[in-house]
Amino acid sequence: MRLLSQTWVVIIMNIRSLPSRFSMSLATIFAVAAVVGVLLFFLAMGNGFRATLEGAGSDAVAVVTREGSQSEINSVLGRDQVNLIANAPGIARDDAGNPIISAELYVIVDGIKESTKTKVNLPLRGLSQAGFDLRDNVKITDGRMFSPGRNEIIVGEGVLKEFGGFSLGKKITFGKTTWEVVGIFTTGGSAFESELWADARSVQDQFRRGNSFQTMRLRLETPGDVSALQAYAKTDPRLNVKIETEANYFSTQGDAIKGYVIFGWGVSIIMGLGALAGALNTMYTSVASRAREIATLRAIGFSNVSAFMGTLVEGILLSLLGGVLGIVATYLFIDGNSAATIGASFTQVVFTFTLSPDLMVQGGWIALAIGVLGGFFPAFRAARLPVVIAFE
Amino acid sequence: MGDLYLIFKNVTRKKLRLFLTLFATFIAFMIYGVLMAFQMALDSGVELSADDRLIVVNKVNFTQPLPLSYVTRIRSVEGVAESAHMSWFGGYYQDPKNFMPMFAVEQDRFLDVYDEIVIPDAQRKAWLQNRQGLLIGESVAKRFGWKVGDRVPISSNIFSRKTGGQTWDFDIEAIYRGADPSFDTSGVYFHFKYFDEARTFGQNQTGFVAVRTEDPALNEQVIKAIDDQFANSFFETETVPEKAFNKAFIEQLGNIALIIQFVVLAAFFIILVIVGNSMALAIRERTNEIAVMKTLGFRSGRIFRMVLGESFLVAILGGGLGVLASVALTRLITENVATLPPLIMKPEIFLSAAGYILLLGFVTGILPALSAWRLNIITALSR
Repeated sequence: MRLLSQTWVVIIMNIRSLPSRFSMSLATIFAVAAVVGVLLFFLAMGNGFRATLEGAGSDAVAVVTREGSQSEINSVLGRDQVNLIANAPGIARDDAGNPIISAELYVIVDGIKESTKTKVNLPLRGLSQAGFDLRDNVKITDGRMFSPGRNEIIVGEGVLKEFGGFSLGKKITFGKTTWEVVGIFTTGGSAFESELWADARSVQDQFRRGNSFQTMRLRLETPGDVSALQAYAKTDPRLNVKIETEANYFSTQGDAIKGYVIFGWGVSIIMGLGALAGALNTMYTSVASRAREIATLRAIGFSNVSAFMGTLVEGILLSLLGGVLGIVATYLFIDGNSAATIGASFTQVVFTFTLSPDLMVQGGWIALAIGVLGGFFPAFRAARLPVVIAFE
Repeated sequence: MGDLYLIFKNVTRKKLRLFLTLFATFIAFMIYGVLMAFQMALDSGVELSADDRLIVVNKVNFTQPLPLSYVTRIRSVEGVAESAHMSWFGGYYQDPKNFMPMFAVEQDRFLDVYDEIVIPDAQRKAWLQNRQGLLIGESVAKRFGWKVGDRVPISSNIFSRKTGGQTWDFDIEAIYRGADPSFDTSGVYFHFKYFDEARTFGQNQTGFVAVRTEDPALNEQVIKAIDDQFANSFFETETVPEKAFNKAFIEQLGNIALIIQFVVLAAFFIILVIVGNSMALAIRERTNEIAVMKTLGFRSGRIFRMVLGESFLVAILGGGLGVLASVALTRLITENVATLPPLIMKPEIFLSAAGYILLLGFVTGILPALSAWRLNIITALSR
């Protein structure tokens, strides 16, 4: 008990004397804040990108692509294959008893990025009203749905944020055809918002696709269960297709940004070592400047544990302050910003930097690690200071 | 006693502090060197583009095809010296993760359009003669452990073969390197003939055409002539200089350059704060000494120089070691990660690092040096 109260007194003394070592302490706080800030920047990026893709995938919807194509852009499905799959078991049916399916095209067109004025790849998806209805949480937020057979386009909100020239009423030329933007849609921030949607038949005509499609989506009778469909496809030699839930399809697409996250951790850990050097410097200086004070406390009966704890807590406190500063700065300046990068389908994915509580905790951990390491060794020195210093 | 000796003695007075300060500087410059090498590797595609090379793509987007009949029409345009068409294959080896930039090319002309590709003569001949021959870059050979003479199956995520399946067989006939050490050798090239006869769809179409002009001065004129020729056809073209094409391609990744600068800046900021503080502290602790030195007749200017010399010494030592470490690290990365373009520590990196090292020495030393210079003996000794 006495030990606890002693320790408490020493901690309070240390904290009260912080202003006398103001610049050193502030340097440590800033150094840790920079490390945490850099780490959270990359984590928020990876997190936002993944959320965008995983939010696009529904468990109740299956995606059909040609075997081995790995992404929608490389897939091809003929009209006859589409018809065969429409007859497969395990597909949910609408009130009229028809299977709920959507045969779609996915082609890449040029857009212009607002911030750099350079050309980027944007996905143009050809689909029908059925495809629109098949997706959960799609809403037209402005304008109207395209009419079948017309060269009309609806534009995802993500596209509007990052790329120019797609506002409502704008006329856009792809090749020889001019398309008109008649609507803006949202899908609640998922990957589909980085797309342009148009009528499948118009896209087939424009891109000379005859009567072929690229992918199919269908609503499942039992969400998550594609086994009946897969078995059906296996028995028919005409169907060389891969069938998986949309959630599954998109989760593999999310790996595209993994490299950034690994890079972010690597850089942060190396920077963390630099910050640790700074923290150690600060804490050793703190011990040196209070050497007489510590020795005096020891002389009047305080234990060396209290001297140790006092210094350790000071180090941890400084680092955690830095961590909080880094988290707050990231939250204010980075969280919620949108950005775009190229995804697995070779097209732009617009995502939002998302700082979740879980990531903040990770930032807190790295700050704590710097604090504990940066405080431990100097604290050890404080505990072993010879008492005689007090009488010199 | 020489000034240098004094500086050295002062710097090494507190060994632990010196070590920590040096370490922080070391880390910063190591990060700087490696990230700059990354940045330059990213830009190398743009840097190494030939001024007299143009890329002709479908106007809608470069992933859309062009009719094969365009190839001869492009070749006959005034000012075109040579051209070769290329098609993206979507190739990977065994696992989709082992994906490679692979193209079916007009084999007889390809090496004339891309003359920076260096191949031993015998291998060059062998590749041209074998329909299923494969030309691979050094880094590809290293990545998969392939040698000339190996027969390898490569799958495509786009094209299946008429005989069934998506796996194509190739004979490795040639391994190329770049004329420039930072040339990316991750590309894989094979005969268009083999490709076009065996694929199930897309016959008579190609991806894009690489054009060499007779003189870069003719570029504008050639671009206009090509694009005008196909204007209002179903497949309109867009011809761009290779440099612009590569730049746009890299920019599709998003603001990589910006992110790298952001990290470097953050690392530098940390270091500045740590080193600056240590310097200020070291001088504050020696106030008395400096006053005594002045009393002994050391001139203010000399003391100023000595203090500044101290901070320069720390910056040069720590920064220099950091740059050396980044040389070792980039080499290690290039040796072991074949999927990245080669990271080369170019002279520019050393120069800019040297500039920052001197700047760091100056910024961290100037305030303590000034206060030492101004130090009043009376007030200092009466403290």
